[in-house]
Amino acid sequence: MSVWNYAVTAQKPTCVTHSCVGNFTSPQELNLIVAKSTRIEIHLLSPQGLQTILDVPLYGRIATLELFRPHGEAQDFLFVATERYKFCVLQWDYESSELITRAMGDVSDRIGRPTDNGQIGIIDPDCRLIGLHLYDGLFKVIPFDNKGQLKEAFNIRLEELQVLDIKFLYGCTKPTIAVLYQDNKDARHVKTYEVSLKDKDFVEGPWSQNNLDNGADLLIPVPSPLCGVLIIGEETIVYCSANAFKAIPIRPSITKAYGRVDLDGSRYLLGDHSGLIHLLVITHEKEKVTGLKIELLGETSIASSISYLDNAVVFVGSSYGDSQLIKLNLQPDATGSYVEILEKYVNLGPIVDFCVVDLERQGQGQVVTCSGAYKDGSLRIVRNGIGINEQASVELQGIKGMWSLKSSIDEAFDTFLVVSFISETRILAMNIEDELEETEIEGFLSQVQTLFCHDAVYNQLVQVTSNSVRLVSSTTRELRNKWDAPAGFAVNVATANASQVLLATGGGHLVYLEIGDGTLTEVKHVLLEYEVSCLDINPIGDNPNYSQLAAVGMWTDISVRIFVLPDLTLITKEQLGGEIIPRSVLLCAFEGISYLLCALGDGHLLNFQLDTSSGKLRDRKKVSLGTQPITLRTFSSKSATHVFAASDRPAVIYSNNKKLLYSNVNLKEVSHMCPFNSAAFPDSLAIAREGELTIGTIDDIQKLHIRTIPIGEHARRICHQEQTRTFAICCLRNQPSAEESEMHFVRLLDAQSFEFLSTYPLDAFEYGCSILSCSFTDDKNVYYCVGTAYVLPEENEPTKGRILVFIVEEGRLQLITEKETKGAVYSLNAFNGKLLAAINQKIQLYKWMLRDDGTRELQSECGHHGHILALYVQTRGDFIVVGDLMKSISLLIYKHEEGAIEERARDYNANWMAAVEILDDDIYLGADNCFNLFTVKKNNDGATDEERARMEVVGEYHIGEFVNRFRHGSLVMRLPDSEIGQIPTVIFGTVSGMIGVIASLPQEQYAFLEKLQTSLRKVIKGVGGLSHEQWRIIQQREKNCGSEELLGWRSD
Amino acid sequence: MWKAIKDRETGRIRSNSFANRFKSRRILSLQLSNRKDFVSPHRGSVNSLQVDLTEGRYLLSGAADGSAAVFDVQRATDYEASGLIAKHKCIFTVDKQHDNGHKFAISSAIWYPIDTGLFITGSYDHYLKVWDTNTAQAVVDFKMPGKVYRTAMSSMAMSHTLIAAGTEDVQVRLCDIASGAFSHTLSGHRDGVMSVEWSTSSEWVLYTGGCDGAIRFWDIRRAGCFRVLDQSQTQLGIRPPILKRTAVSSKFFSAAKSSLGGQNRLKTLQSKHAGSQSVKGSFSAKASTEKSRQKRIHPGMLSTLDRATAHYGVVTGLKATNNGMYLLSAGSDSRIRLWDIETGRNTLVNFETGRIQTNKAIQLDTSDDPALVFVPCMKTVKTFGMWSGRTTLMLRGHYESVNTCCFNSSDQELYTSGADRQILVWSPGGSVEDEMVQDEVAEDKDNWSD
Repeated sequence: MSVWNYAVTAQKPTCVTHSCVGNFTSPQELNLIVAKSTRIEIHLLSPQGLQTILDVPLYGRIATLELFRPHGEAQDFLFVATERYKFCVLQWDYESSELITRAMGDVSDRIGRPTDNGQIGIIDPDCRLIGLHLYDGLFKVIPFDNKGQLKEAFNIRLEELQVLDIKFLYGCTKPTIAVLYQDNKDARHVKTYEVSLKDKDFVEGPWSQNNLDNGADLLIPVPSPLCGVLIIGEETIVYCSANAFKAIPIRPSITKAYGRVDLDGSRYLLGDHSGLIHLLVITHEKEKVTGLKIELLGETSIASSISYLDNAVVFVGSSYGDSQLIKLNLQPDATGSYVEILEKYVNLGPIVDFCVVDLERQGQGQVVTCSGAYKDGSLRIVRNGIGINEQASVELQGIKGMWSLKSSIDEAFDTFLVVSFISETRILAMNIEDELEETEIEGFLSQVQTLFCHDAVYNQLVQVTSNSVRLVSSTTRELRNKWDAPAGFAVNVATANASQVLLATGGGHLVYLEIGDGTLTEVKHVLLEYEVSCLDINPIGDNPNYSQLAAVGMWTDISVRIFVLPDLTLITKEQLGGEIIPRSVLLCAFEGISYLLCALGDGHLLNFQLDTSSGKLRDRKKVSLGTQPITLRTFSSKSATHVFAASDRPAVIYSNNKKLLYSNVNLKEVSHMCPFNSAAFPDSLAIAREGELTIGTIDDIQKLHIRTIPIGEHARRICHQEQTRTFAICCLRNQPSAEESEMHFVRLLDAQSFEFLSTYPLDAFEYGCSILSCSFTDDKNVYYCVGTAYVLPEENEPTKGRILVFIVEEGRLQLITEKETKGAVYSLNAFNGKLLAAINQKIQLYKWMLRDDGTRELQSECGHHGHILALYVQTRGDFIVVGDLMKSISLLIYKHEEGAIEERARDYNANWMAAVEILDDDIYLGADNCFNLFTVKKNNDGATDEERARMEVVGEYHIGEFVNRFRHGSLVMRLPDSEIGQIPTVIFGTVSGMIGVIASLPQEQYAFLEKLQTSLRKVIKGVGGLSHEQWRIIQQREKNCGSEELLGWRSD
Repeated sequence: MWKAIKDRETGRIRSNSFANRFKSRRILSLQLSNRKDFVSPHRGSVNSLQVDLTEGRYLLSGAADGSAAVFDVQRATDYEASGLIAKHKCIFTVDKQHDNGHKFAISSAIWYPIDTGLFITGSYDHYLKVWDTNTAQAVVDFKMPGKVYRTAMSSMAMSHTLIAAGTEDVQVRLCDIASGAFSHTLSGHRDGVMSVEWSTSSEWVLYTGGCDGAIRFWDIRRAGCFRVLDQSQTQLGIRPPILKRTAVSSKFFSAAKSSLGGQNRLKTLQSKHAGSQSVKGSFSAKASTEKSRQKRIHPGMLSTLDRATAHYGVVTGLKATNNGMYLLSAGSDSRIRLWDIETGRNTLVNFETGRIQTNKAIQLDTSDDPALVFVPCMKTVKTFGMWSGRTTLMLRGHYESVNTCCFNSSDQELYTSGADRQILVWSPGGSVEDEMVQDEVAEDKDNWSD
């Protein structure tokens, strides 16, 4: 790998951090606006559900998101502030359907300490000012003038240092805030202040309330006419206003999010830390509050934001599990829950750990992540390309073609599957037991190879063989008509649709037949100068049964021609160039645009836009899909048309935003494919590959495919063992009874089915911290090693832990040996046939020893001190790279002769590390606490010891996400002969669910991308006027690390 | 710890609060380090300590024997006790034997804030010298009118390279490294100036504490001092009182409003004044409002307020907090006071100090997380909660009175020095580390005895 590294996003952030509802895009439309870490999504509420209008990145981590409506405006504006103290006000332009920046600015200060409890951004309900709490002890005010424009900001001193929440109160003549704070003695109080814009200072407010619930950390302002504020604690909920005080006790819970149901503010939804959703009702007589009521509604994902949309439909945004769209029913269901889940939105975050595996062993990397937290924990399998979920398969050698047929043209499902071999044709059908069974269609010839089959109008079937075309009734299955090829002219290629047949015989004869009720008429016959290699008359016009055009691929002159039917007049001839003949042509339409696809014998695919009236071909594009000839076939999935390209690297061609996209299918070598939509296997495909016939359904057509395996527990560490085809995870389960009690397990999972095979419970207070699959010198077994820590409530730092060594026997975890350690085992690595553990401050190397009685044990060999906490360790050869809690990266070396570990070099910056990885012998990659990525380089040719002992920072990049793990690997299929396959890549997973790839590029390629990025930066303006350059800079430095975010996802 | 790491991984706690939490735990466990030693080359009381501001790696010390030394705090020069005790010898010293060396005690040694290429020493021999670190030669010197007590450079200065020097003389002088001449002479103190400190929020604002017990604030772009701190001025009643208003009676409200009338008028005047100055940045605008008010109330600062004192006796130490909002002062009245910089008021936090050295400048330091103050109290170093004033730690280790505290926030280590000529390292302890180390030493010993 080189110093030229380039970061690419493979999966955008998925965890929902904020959401709000309002009339943003137009005064009549209701919008849901969702913030996902660094992205904003704008949805429209439509009768069909949520419809995404816009999904834009913001150059900053979103700290606050608020909708507001200034005086005299018909629709809402969006206020966004980022964690780096930038803010902007966005407006939707209905005409151009884009965001306009109304105002923007910087609200950073030179004084003050950034708040610990997170930034607060609030807007006065009467739209007089914006309030921001960004630094301890300061409240920043941005006033509006009468026209709704922002004026210059000023700070007001806030005496309360530990502010937990601030909200504006409704119905006050002057803007008034309520401040929830904690004092020096850890007691919590609420105080109110009026903001005096004239004096730029606070005036003591109308009321205050001392000594609240110790867990109070959320304020909900209640709108007029009730006014006042709700204070949500862990054990009580209090309603407080100038003249009323009501309280109710609640079951102990930590409320994470709330959503207001009614405009008058009498009902609220509260989501707590365990995913329960409650309805809080303020009972009132006219404007007098008489009490509070709370009711449990049901369970959802653990909410980070709740937005009540309309008609009892609620958006529950989550950063620990999938976000949900729920409906609140009036009546409870059988389980007593009022919550009905309408839709789920996939969330990968937080990705705590992951591993890159190749389960199908075909060079296609898959990422298996430990996603989610607490009860929403899950494993997610993320892979590039489309998967086929196998439903049934039969062993069948030598398939030459496949077609599905219906028993009548109006029927919804396919009944027959015609499979053609070199010298016979077999017909399979579904029987009553939903099994595929061989059957017969009397009118079909079964002793010869079938060239083409199709359903035809008037409940007929058509079969084309090398010397005849047969028309068979699908009801009686008897031959109704046939057309014979002239003697000596065998049919080479043929195609048909419901009412037309086009075939080519030897010698370049092209014959066009039309199908009637029991008739088969030869309409036209032309002689071409060369042999025909492929043809297609797939209808793309208005009539689904009749095509106006025919596409023909030719031998010898290597061209593709378009003929008009029924006269077979040539209107277009396109030379393909090169020496490879077209092997398959296809006319198809995506999103209303007609295309001609033409696949060549060497795995290349040409596509043209086709003008259906003139037959003109435009926009020729060429892509490489594989290395073998491709066969093209259309199929539909989820009511959209796609094209399947069968070859050694099968792919699906689809269209998105009027752009053709190619997605790999996770299968090796497919020779033929046909859609087979039977009653038992709806929406399935029949696929011929490697001597078997498979029937399977296809995943959703998208670039990155995610499969979820919910485990209901919080998985912390994962590791794959190829030899035993298993995964092992460290996970924990919160006991529902007691609040802080957790149970920790090591679980073994099957690598295919992801079923729990075996479980090893850890001791009380024992946490699983690290897991590794490795083998040792002089022992050919493969083991799972698990590092643990005893986390006792009275200890700050664990003083005891264990290393457990397991072997997998018959799908069970067998404990071989254990070794006690003097601290938490934060990391385990295989190291020269030994085990390297990071235990608190120390790096410790263990040997695998055979005892006299034949059992094995771990024996400590040597160690290295001098870290604050050695959290992350990676090894390569004799080198050990340690990511310290707060001391950046250091490089250690193991000296074989002395049997000792010594420090070689370190980075003297004080980076708080989040992950490390070794890129190559000299360059190491790190991610820190401040959402940065950086690379350091070992200085081999320093003149002095001092220089050699210092690692130089060679690249820095602000990724804006908290990285939890780096792993070598790739999500793209590695083709052995392609250039792209040679670029080393590292995948990373983040808290927000973003998955990224870092590629080490040759310098020229990097320079090109950098240039492109700079140019794009000039053209593309960031949302809200935020600067891309400033966003990516770490402390005014940015070197040798670029990103693709401006480019969009490059398709190879 | 493991729980906190888990919460950080899942995004349940913010990464900066994770760091703050961990730092504060380490700071609260500070103890005399048994693994790190500075080998002091000084043969006199060590009067000044500072870690460089750019890398946080080099410690500069100045001592009463006229010597100054630089240590690497990260890399040890050699190890003792089988590699467990790191010895940090100084990288170089400049002392009386040096051609350019000071003749008398060095009272203050500070780094040039932009890089480690220069450092500045001030001495009782009336000289202030600027040294080139790489060649260890004095490059500029300034002759002061008396003994130099304290020097300071602004850590945030972008447009000036001024050294503020407090001396025996009543005037504070600003020495410009760029020109080699005095650029300002600030008059106001009635006695020598023991402590000088630049603002941490504005590069133009300087705080000085004199032997006359006064703390003066200077804006070096304007003539004269703009504020004198008064220990009797407190924050009580600074905000208008609670309005006795209910939703029902609007009469009450108007009454309350009219009672505030006088005050309001006064404030409108000020805000007009603020409006005329086109100062960018909200806080500075606010601060300048305050400044202008001060001037308005006390034209020329020659009235009674000018005689206001911050301490009874000598102001021996000043330290502005990193957030730029508070100033700590130490006095020979054995008091530590915490001042709100914006309003110039005494916050009345009662620090539980014992006795504090009276005849010598002392160096205080602070930490942000948790907000603590490190104060040399005779032979011990005490740490107080910034807001409570309560003693959180008593660090005993020096044999004679302590002069300086210097907190290294990137490593959470405290360096102290005193009249016993030692520089001591206080590092986070109480963790398993020490036990592990001890166990190992024991193990090692066993191995050797075999």
